[in-house]
Amino acid sequence: MVLLVLALVFFALGLKFVSGFGTRLPATRIISLVDTQFLDTATFRKSYAQLIREKADLSDFDCYACHEKGKPPVLKFDAQQILIVPKEHEDVVMKHGTHNRNNNCFNCHDEQNLELLQARDGRQIKLVESPLLCGSCHGPTYRDWEAGAHGRTGGYWDRTAGPMKRQICVDCHNPHSPKIPPRKPAPGPHLLHPAAAVAAEASH
Amino acid sequence: MPTPTSNTNERDQSSPDGLSRRSFLRSSAVLASGLAALAASLAPLRHLNDFPTVEQFLQKYYKELTPEEMKKVLTRIENEVERQYGLRPHVRDLKPMNGVEFVYALNLTRCIGCRKCVHACVAENNQSRNPEIQYIRVLRLPHGSLDMEKAEHNYNPEMVPEKGYFYMPVQCQQCKNPPCVKVCPVHATWQEADGITVIDYNWCIGCRYCEAACPYWARHFNFTKPSIPKERLNLDMAYLGNRPRRQGVMEKCHFCVQRTRVGRYPACVEVCPVGARKFGNILDPESEVSYILRTKRVFIQLKEELGTSPRFFYYFDV
Amino acid sequence: MRQAVRNYLVFLWRCGRLAFSGDWRYYTWMGALSVFCLLGLNAYAKQFANGLIVTGMSDEVSWGVYIANFTFLVGVAAAAVMMVIPVYIYNNEELHDLVIFGELLAVAAILMCLAFVTVDLGRPDRFWHLIPGIGQFNFPASMLSWDVLVLNGYLLLNVHICGYLLYCRYRGRAPAKWFYIPFVFIAIVWAVSIHTVTAFLYVGLGGRPFWNSAIVGPRFLASAFTAGPALIILAMQVVRRVTAFAPAGDASRLRGEMGGGPRPKGRAAALDDLDLLARHLAEMASVPKEFRQTILAGAMVLEAKAGDVLLRQGETENESFFVLKGRVVVRREEGGRFRITRSLGPGEQFGEISALAGTPRTGTAIAEESALILSLPVDSLRKLMTAPKMNKIIRSRMSERLLITDRALMTLRSIVQVSMLINVFLLVNEVFKEFYSGNLHVASAKYLFVGLHGHHALVPWIWTAIAFNLTAMVLLVLPVSRSLKWLNLTCVLCIVGIWIEKGMGLVIPGFIPTPLGEMVEYSPSLNETLVCFGIWAFGLLCYTVFLRMSVPILQGRLSKANEGASEFALSGAGERPARPS
Repeated sequence: MVLLVLALVFFALGLKFVSGFGTRLPATRIISLVDTQFLDTATFRKSYAQLIREKADLSDFDCYACHEKGKPPVLKFDAQQILIVPKEHEDVVMKHGTHNRNNNCFNCHDEQNLELLQARDGRQIKLVESPLLCGSCHGPTYRDWEAGAHGRTGGYWDRTAGPMKRQICVDCHNPHSPKIPPRKPAPGPHLLHPAAAVAAEASH
Repeated sequence: MPTPTSNTNERDQSSPDGLSRRSFLRSSAVLASGLAALAASLAPLRHLNDFPTVEQFLQKYYKELTPEEMKKVLTRIENEVERQYGLRPHVRDLKPMNGVEFVYALNLTRCIGCRKCVHACVAENNQSRNPEIQYIRVLRLPHGSLDMEKAEHNYNPEMVPEKGYFYMPVQCQQCKNPPCVKVCPVHATWQEADGITVIDYNWCIGCRYCEAACPYWARHFNFTKPSIPKERLNLDMAYLGNRPRRQGVMEKCHFCVQRTRVGRYPACVEVCPVGARKFGNILDPESEVSYILRTKRVFIQLKEELGTSPRFFYYFDV
Repeated sequence: MRQAVRNYLVFLWRCGRLAFSGDWRYYTWMGALSVFCLLGLNAYAKQFANGLIVTGMSDEVSWGVYIANFTFLVGVAAAAVMMVIPVYIYNNEELHDLVIFGELLAVAAILMCLAFVTVDLGRPDRFWHLIPGIGQFNFPASMLSWDVLVLNGYLLLNVHICGYLLYCRYRGRAPAKWFYIPFVFIAIVWAVSIHTVTAFLYVGLGGRPFWNSAIVGPRFLASAFTAGPALIILAMQVVRRVTAFAPAGDASRLRGEMGGGPRPKGRAAALDDLDLLARHLAEMASVPKEFRQTILAGAMVLEAKAGDVLLRQGETENESFFVLKGRVVVRREEGGRFRITRSLGPGEQFGEISALAGTPRTGTAIAEESALILSLPVDSLRKLMTAPKMNKIIRSRMSERLLITDRALMTLRSIVQVSMLINVFLLVNEVFKEFYSGNLHVASAKYLFVGLHGHHALVPWIWTAIAFNLTAMVLLVLPVSRSLKWLNLTCVLCIVGIWIEKGMGLVIPGFIPTPLGEMVEYSPSLNETLVCFGIWAFGLLCYTVFLRMSVPILQGRLSKANEGASEFALSGAGERPARPS
């Protein structure tokens, strides 16, 4: 009697296995592919030097299209002695240093030749060599940058195999507001088992 | 033959063993149905994700392959990838370069927690998107503490960096004294001459002892067949690096061997928007990592007290 | 040589047939276990096809119930053999029969361990990578490689010892001591090593402070020696019960009665009778005739009819007996039921233990058919045993009694008692170390005992386990656990408490929080649970088959002497004793 029942049970079990009755694989949820902006290795901004390399439109840097040669522009200050940015250059936000330390365009730009920069000792520096200007104040950072420890390095670490691509200061830092602006982060990790995630969320 | 014993009156006197025809049939029925159920229980194997071929099964240990055998293996892998994704990759077996020991330095002052490194790594190294495998995990820690218990893994603010926190990405530290290498029962993971701890994906048996041993949670397991979107497949592959793995094996950061052993920077270094990641050859005094280890006064090796001697250094600028 | 192989194959064949024969209770039990095995196999097939994603494990908690069960069962396997110490080192005769059952339990447990490790592998098809010489075996650096060696070695040791002893008993030969005693002592040391090596798997990981503690090894052993013997206490009572012959009152099924029937008639023994004995007992043949004369004083030969009682349980008499012709069955009554302990043929002895020790008879001997029995007073027996060969055979046969006495169970109880006390003491040590200093490494312990950062899934489990263990400890210390009912409850509490403590209380908290501080909890999936049930069912199936084969061998009902006998007669309880054809 027991044997008969057993035979029937085995048979039923076999059917269950073959038909897959009651089988449920864990449901796979959708994890969308990350936006390609997060895979982009481009720098935050394009410096003048980069634009030159790309043979892009340089009209923004044609100062004497509006200014007169030989005539240094006059700066205007408000009642608290704070620089008023002219409305032609309203895209420039002056935030280079706290306490209005850089309250004067000609701390960096050469008023005699607007296509050049000037160091504090009056030395003229070409726009594409702007790191020299930055380094004249930011010594430690400049030394780090020279060694490759500050800023982005890309390409080849083995110079014999290929070139290392070092970015200059203004490839990342806006010279007028050099602090790196906050940005949206890429998505966080997804746990293997969504149920565990739900439990984790619930307890926070 | 099974012999029923409870019904003695059914015993057929004429058969020597006391076995009756009815009991014989009954027990045969049980045996037959039992064997049928046994065969049926294996039914799910019909949907096997990928059963290894004879060549895959017999493939020798990496260190024992002759160059000819390795060439055959690489071609086989290229065929497999082409069959699966419709695209033919280029798989190389890259050896460590002479006079090179890789070191990684990460500037905690600069990291903004944007996680671009995480995803660049995933794209470069053909990691599974679903289920998700990521070699790099970025931790958000409150100012002033390295206590991992205070770390948040799944921060998702509108903007990073957030005030009052700093960000610490963690990946395989390529330790000088790696606990994972010590515990692997089959030598599927070992440290190479340039300092990278590698895995032979075709040798790993998936016991996950290394995952338990790693103090940095750097080793990851393929719980099922990895899924890589065809359009994002990186076809520049290395045997010990970013060739697609299979179900049931371990994987981890390998300092992008397919890049670094030909002289390039790893993907995470290239993509970091703020230049927080530094990589290079510590045996070269001119490299940026040599400079950093020489000049920065404070740097951290995570869980230094465990004696793992990581080749990953976290430092600060300001 | 061919004959030896043939004999062995016949032995295996008969054992195999025995595994398929039994009464309805046997078929129900084996049937239910088979159903669970099949469910487990099906679940594993699903896992093999789809990967370990069908379990509850993840990168955060990368070992789960498979390894938890493995850890528990290694302890059971180790403890099963530790019963060997009282018997072989302290010559505790009461436990003698349990040794084989303990070792068979060890074999079944090791098979389960190997199964649990195999189902946990991500690529079990690459198992050959582990084989030393063929694969790449990371010995001695990796503790897992040690585990592979010691577990398989332990399996071989126990299979050899049990197999050899059982086969010798089947053949009716005394086993050659050199062929098994050294292995027994090796097995004792090896048993400690398998569990220590398994502990070292965890202890050696510096990155997991919850495990990286010296106390893990001793705790493993203490909990193993609690749970293992507790399992054996329960299993032995099951064996006792299912090999019970018939309920009291059903004795008419036997040809004979308990407590009735006169002693058979006897006459003084003569040298011819000793010659008859010598024909069946080789060692007797080597005793010189002059010597034989000296033991005849007081010796009798009894002519027994079927059903005659030769000695009765509980009586204190000091004769010992040898069967000269026919068969005698020795029964033991316990709790209103009878159990056959031995079935004896010509040349075999009975009654010598109580004769030599002066203790009451432990069973009743009844002639199964017309028999001639030689009765020797104890002085004659002692004289006879001055002959070295006779001494050897009598002593070795004395130690081959299948007797699961309550005293044996009490000895096991003492082992469980001491081990549980040590286990609880070590727990106190661990709790103090984790919580007193207040350093940050206690995160996992906090998660386990009180919950951490809002996660507390394991807290009810560990406190249940502690409650069970403490209750069991108290019961073990009190005399109330001497009664089998309370002892059984205590054993169940021990086994469940230690299973929880070792599995969920040790393996899982090591992963929570992760080394990077993440809190992800774990619970086994249905598929995972089915695989576990399947492997446990497989282990129980194996153990049942082992007992099914070994009990008749130890009782003498399955032996070479009755090779041609009806298999029908060997199966199950409630049957007529075997008749040699």
